[in-house]
Amino acid sequence: MTSYGWMWWQGYVTVRLRGPGLERLLNKIADLDIGLHKVERLTADVIIIRLRVRDFRRLRPLLRGTRINVSILDKHGAAFLIRKFRLRAFFAVGLVASVLLILYLGNFLWFIEVTGLETLPLEALKMAAEELGLRAGTAKCQIQPRAVEAGLMKRFPSLVWADVRLNGVKAEIRLGEGDGLQSEYGTSGQIYAKKDGLVTEIRALRGTPQVREGATVRQGDLLIAGVYSDARGQKQFGAAQGIVKARVWYEGVGETALLRWEPIPTGRNHTQYVLSIGPITIPLGRSYARDSHLVEGKDWNLYLGRAMVPIRWTRLEYQEVERVSIRVADQEAERAAYALAWESLMAQGVSREAVLEERHRTDLIIDGDGLRVTVQVEVQEDIGLFLSQ
Amino acid sequence: MGPVMNRTLRRRLAHTLDLPAAVLLDQATIHLMGDAEARIVNHRGLVQYTSLCIKARSLQGMIELTGEDLEIVSFSSSEMKIAGRIRQVVLK
Repeated sequence: MTSYGWMWWQGYVTVRLRGPGLERLLNKIADLDIGLHKVERLTADVIIIRLRVRDFRRLRPLLRGTRINVSILDKHGAAFLIRKFRLRAFFAVGLVASVLLILYLGNFLWFIEVTGLETLPLEALKMAAEELGLRAGTAKCQIQPRAVEAGLMKRFPSLVWADVRLNGVKAEIRLGEGDGLQSEYGTSGQIYAKKDGLVTEIRALRGTPQVREGATVRQGDLLIAGVYSDARGQKQFGAAQGIVKARVWYEGVGETALLRWEPIPTGRNHTQYVLSIGPITIPLGRSYARDSHLVEGKDWNLYLGRAMVPIRWTRLEYQEVERVSIRVADQEAERAAYALAWESLMAQGVSREAVLEERHRTDLIIDGDGLRVTVQVEVQEDIGLFLSQ
Repeated sequence: MGPVMNRTLRRRLAHTLDLPAAVLLDQATIHLMGDAEARIVNHRGLVQYTSLCIKARSLQGMIELTGEDLEIVSFSSSEMKIAGRIRQVVLK
């Protein structure tokens, strides 16, 4: 144990010395065989020293007759901690129990992170991982990362590689997906329309186009057949390749009410604390109805090294409110409904930059006392979908 | 036996027995670790302490350390450990 560690164990104080001739006093202290640590010079007449508690009492005779003022700034060390814990026995027991609980819970897996997904659905992959034994709450010693990797590769043929690593209480699943289209091009097949549209451009790199520019196609129509003539003029059947661009229509609908319920604070506030240990949530104090209160929360997560220990302390501030109905202006409601309609379009994969033409219509919802905005847009996109034979 | 005589005798003894002079003659020893740390053993008291200059007495004279952000890490009757950016050590 270092001398500083030993001093901490015995307990030490941070002392401020203020006055003239401080160097002389330091020499006198040293002559009494008192060890000083971290002696800081703050100003011309102030020095901060750190010394053991039992040595502090020995300073008194040295200070007699001097104009040096001494004050304790802080107390540190095990001796003071023990004294504090004696006064708060339950706190000490709770602290020890918490540490033991943290160490125990650290033996389990609590978080699963998946990276590298491109086309595979996350939920399907998580379900598969759970079935292979990788689920939150499982003891880490029971998890076999190599078996999970092999299982995932078997269940999802589009995966090129899978890597499962345990990092503290977190499992990281890193995946690599292959380019399915390229592998499919190795076989024979044709290109079909994946949605309705008006063909604007067709470029067949291999195969025979089955539609012309300006033609209207329906979902599932054959666009480029896999039949083509090779260099010797012989007819072959292989993988059709090409791009078929078409004007495609999308429709998005958004609705908003013409009445808004505005929360007005009543001035009554409440606080609730919530302790979360892994999947277990323990509310400390009364909770209040969310429809009559606005709630703001602040979280504190407990970290142990790089791995996050699953303990969270949350403070919820409840602000009681009364809801008052306010009439929304037609223009404001229309704007909000229009934004919602666009959100619906974007969820379908439409980007504003790709829009060639846009139309929108506003209708009054009589029953619900609200507005409905319908937005129709026209975009140009590749509608070809390769299907192997 | 006077102090000068005593010191001469000790020096001769150290020379004859091939012992380190610092042990028998109470000579101050200065250990430098790069420019970040210094340890002065067998000092005879602190004379001046600022963040730019630390002066300590020794049997051989005044030891003066100059530099920047100087701080006494530990201090006892025989040993003093100094940290900071040490630029110069002078024995006057």
